[in-house]
Amino acid sequence: MSAKKSNSRFQEFWDDFRREKSGLIGLGILAVAILVVIFEPLFLPYKDVNEGNWRNISYWEDNSSAAPPAWTNIFTSKKSAVSTTFNSPEVSTEEDPNYGLVTTYSFKYNYKYDLPPLDLIIRAKASGMSLFLMELERPDGNIVPVGEQFFEGLNEDQIRFSMDTDAASNAYEFARQFASEEALANSDSTTIRPTFVAFSETGSDMLSARVPLKGTYTLRIRVPSFITDDSNNVLEDLRLIVTGRVSGILGTDTYKRDIFTGIVAGLKWALFIGLATSVVSVLFGVMYGIISAYFGGFVDTSMQFVYQIFAGIPVMPLLIVLAAIFKPSIWIIMGVMIVFSWTGSVMTVRSMAFQIKEETFVEAAKALGSGKWRIIFKHIAPILLPYSFASMALAVPGTIVYEASLSLLGLGDPTIITWGQILHDAQNSGATLNGLWWWIVPPGLFIALMGATFAFLGFAMDKILNPKLRTR
Amino acid sequence: MDKILEVKNLKLYYHTNKGAVKALDDVTFDLYKGETLGLVGESGCGKTTTGVALLRMPSPPGRIEEGSQIILDGRDIMPLTERQIRKDVRWEEVAMVFQGAMNCLTPVYTIGKQMMETLQEHREMEKKQAEELIKEYLSLVGLPPEVMGRYPHELSGGMKQRIVIATALFLKPKVVILDEPTTALDVIVQAQIINLLKKLKKTFDLSFIFITHDLSLEAEVSDRICVMYAGKIAELGTNQQIYGKQGPMHPYTEKLLQATPLLRKKVESLSFIPGAPPDLIDPPTGCRFHPRCHKVMDRCKVEEPPLIEVEPGHMVACWRCVK
Amino acid sequence: MSLNDNDVILQVKDLKKHFTPHQSLIQSLAGSGQKRPIKAVDGITFDLRRGEIFGLIGESGSGKTTTGKMIMKLIEPTSGTMVFNGEDVTHTDKLRTQVYRRQVQMIFQDPYASMNPRFKIRDVLQEPLIIHKIEGDNQKHDEMIIKSLTEVKLNPPAEFMGRYPHMLSGGQRQRVATARTLILNPMLLVADEPVSMIDLSTRAEILAMMKDVQRDLGLTYLYITHDLSTARYFTDRIAVMYLGRIVEMGPANELIDNPIHPYTKALIEAVPEPMTGKVDVIKELPISGEIPSPANIPPGCRFHTRCPYAKPECSEQSEPELMDAGNGHFHACRRWKEI
Repeated sequence: MSAKKSNSRFQEFWDDFRREKSGLIGLGILAVAILVVIFEPLFLPYKDVNEGNWRNISYWEDNSSAAPPAWTNIFTSKKSAVSTTFNSPEVSTEEDPNYGLVTTYSFKYNYKYDLPPLDLIIRAKASGMSLFLMELERPDGNIVPVGEQFFEGLNEDQIRFSMDTDAASNAYEFARQFASEEALANSDSTTIRPTFVAFSETGSDMLSARVPLKGTYTLRIRVPSFITDDSNNVLEDLRLIVTGRVSGILGTDTYKRDIFTGIVAGLKWALFIGLATSVVSVLFGVMYGIISAYFGGFVDTSMQFVYQIFAGIPVMPLLIVLAAIFKPSIWIIMGVMIVFSWTGSVMTVRSMAFQIKEETFVEAAKALGSGKWRIIFKHIAPILLPYSFASMALAVPGTIVYEASLSLLGLGDPTIITWGQILHDAQNSGATLNGLWWWIVPPGLFIALMGATFAFLGFAMDKILNPKLRTR
Repeated sequence: MDKILEVKNLKLYYHTNKGAVKALDDVTFDLYKGETLGLVGESGCGKTTTGVALLRMPSPPGRIEEGSQIILDGRDIMPLTERQIRKDVRWEEVAMVFQGAMNCLTPVYTIGKQMMETLQEHREMEKKQAEELIKEYLSLVGLPPEVMGRYPHELSGGMKQRIVIATALFLKPKVVILDEPTTALDVIVQAQIINLLKKLKKTFDLSFIFITHDLSLEAEVSDRICVMYAGKIAELGTNQQIYGKQGPMHPYTEKLLQATPLLRKKVESLSFIPGAPPDLIDPPTGCRFHPRCHKVMDRCKVEEPPLIEVEPGHMVACWRCVK
Repeated sequence: MSLNDNDVILQVKDLKKHFTPHQSLIQSLAGSGQKRPIKAVDGITFDLRRGEIFGLIGESGSGKTTTGKMIMKLIEPTSGTMVFNGEDVTHTDKLRTQVYRRQVQMIFQDPYASMNPRFKIRDVLQEPLIIHKIEGDNQKHDEMIIKSLTEVKLNPPAEFMGRYPHMLSGGQRQRVATARTLILNPMLLVADEPVSMIDLSTRAEILAMMKDVQRDLGLTYLYITHDLSTARYFTDRIAVMYLGRIVEMGPANELIDNPIHPYTKALIEAVPEPMTGKVDVIKELPISGEIPSPANIPPGCRFHTRCPYAKPECSEQSEPELMDAGNGHFHACRRWKEI
């Protein structure tokens, strides 16, 4: 019986909450957000981004710069090649006239777009030395010699071969077989883009017309047996990266960073900053209000004086000054936000505590000999805490926006990824001027969405837990 | 005597998700012109609900059920629309002084302003004229005209109750329902208010329904007494029939009277009714009072006693009174 | 009648409580003068005898509740003394107050409001044990809780312990409230309108229970009420308060059957009784008007403004003190022989 009853307070709350549509929406979004944070690795296309790689330019070098999201192809008449990574090549052995027995790794790439990829990048992790003999077989049977590359002195190092930079002359040679004299005279190996040549129909005007040749391309990497037979030479994790013109779910920025990765990785910080700051500051504010009301008199007057000072200082300018003076750190930012935002709930709590203080059960507790702190913690605080849950939820959007604003001003913590910082980078790079909407809209939208989520939750809770507001 | 109000088979159920709470079940009584009918019983027996039902404003999820009849001055008000009720019944014909209404005066407006608002909501009237009327009513309830400029917190409970009564009488209703009008007041003030009500009843030719839990008070004000228990009428009789030498006939009324401490007589011990009123979602079978009755018989547990007239004007719902 | 000191559990002498209205800084700077103090209790003297039930009767504003709170040490008296068991307890330090609160307990008007709605009955009853650091583990405490629930006849006690206050009836709640006061074995119980919120049908039951407990445990009650009828039934002696002072005091039956003071007479006159034959008869009330403000107490006999027998001497002479009319029946009316 008693167990059933103790549930009922929550049950009652839930029954009321279920009727609040906006609250349910908020709860739904929050649940999804929490799931995303818990299973973050499943959602992150670039898993090492949290290890300080967000601002590491070489980490992103295989991406295209400022590529719109892949799904924009739906709306354009000329479809652009999408960035793709191929991880598992077909492996076979064959006889090569020059090198004898070779191991061949081949990647099949089905090209079905109108605009060719910007680059084909071959990456691997290798030790010792290695020799790559690379060629690209086109659907029309022609073979583009990509190049031969020798690596040595490797020790579990990343090796990288970019067609765009390392195979320009080979591609030019390939084009020479077909292109007209005139066209060749107007260009050389530095002015053509190798992938444009490789993915166009052959012909005399192939350098200018660039009619896409659709079909399956095969990139072969041959490694001679004298390399593979030596057990000192290790080659693993061989992959082909097609650097498309459109990329991922939310595109890339001018620093080639995947924006979707940034959004997902920023979610946990938005939640953490929002929740931790508001929980701590509201809890502090609630206790401050209760103590102020309960002791009354001189204590109340002086605590109200302190409150007025803190409530009167605008947080944003102060944060800007502090962040500019100190090395911007998320902990300092959160600390300052707590120090100046606990004032939000003080007055409401104080007035409610004044009421509860006059309740008979408080007087009864006093008559029983109960001390001040026992009354505060046992009788007053437990009644006011549920009400403060609503305040906490309502304080979250504010803190998220504060952090975003600071970051937007370039005063964010550089060791973490936040949506505000993504916006800041976008603004700095003139994303608005260049029409890179995919860089601006998603972080802005997600800041708004997180704010709305907690606002929905907060309003719904407020309505239920704060019955005085119900009819007004 | 003419009947000003006839209530027939009044049923008011609260439809909750646990089932229907039968707050009023087949309540039938008449109110004669110029009389005071007392409604008594423990809290939760349906006294206030009856009052609210007569204004046809049950609070949700309450609903007056089919078959209920409220005939006011010859007209059944049950088929009327909410609009019609508001226009010619509620406050116009039937007014109610709610329990604790005196504590519901808005603290930020003066008494005059609050009374003016009520008046102008129902009657188109010049401000000057309305003011005169308010002063007239204030003097009728024994308050000086200066009260108009005062705020509720500047007035005592007795004065506020007088204002609430004056406001209820503004539109010259025929029936006034008084729900515990003196409960929060001290005895001397209570006596003053009771005297005032008696005076006003004569002046305006009113009929009162006087709701209270206090049997002693009912004896002083009511011509007839209606004792309610668990949403039903247990006993209805004249003042003489209930309080006279012969005494009440229903065991519930009998026990309630014995539980009332008397001032003018020293009693060594009072009796009381064990237990509490039943849950109206699932009331006891048979007579609803049988689990607490000291005179219970086997029949009471299975069959519900009808409300029968045992002598002229005296109705009792008890198997012991069925010959 | 002289009383042995040992028979008196609490001696209240000239106890006063004057509240000074809050004055804002600007008001005091403007020199609008000190506001009049509100004389809620203005010099009352009475003895509580060991084992008796003493009724303190009065209208709202008479100062009866303030008196109760001073005796409970919930508010500090302005002047006067309170002697409990031979020891002056008017002003006590924290430690002594704590000990005092084990000996003097209070039952409140609204039993529901006097319990934290979030506490189970078990927690409600365990609270005094925790506050006063009564030795014992939870099991020992449970035994004490069961014992006190049995004393107030809540059966079976174990079943009530897990419930919340809102699950009980009004009568059951007041029993729990009584049990909470009994758990510390007090000597004196201050009961402020303990039955006014309880349904008529169970009121008598609660009063009978409280009487039984008082007899069984040899307690002394201070019963504060506005209700003369229950006071007559419940108490041994009654003091009638008017505007912060006792105007009449005496054995319950004697005082109600033969009231001396005009105010007491009026109070008794105003009480309705369940007897037929008074309908529509406008009762002549011996007094008119309402109780004056305690911030503006009339000079002389403070009742003279409403007294039907008042003569100029009543307002001109000093305030009458309590006089003995014999049989322990005291009153504060100078003209009692004439009226």
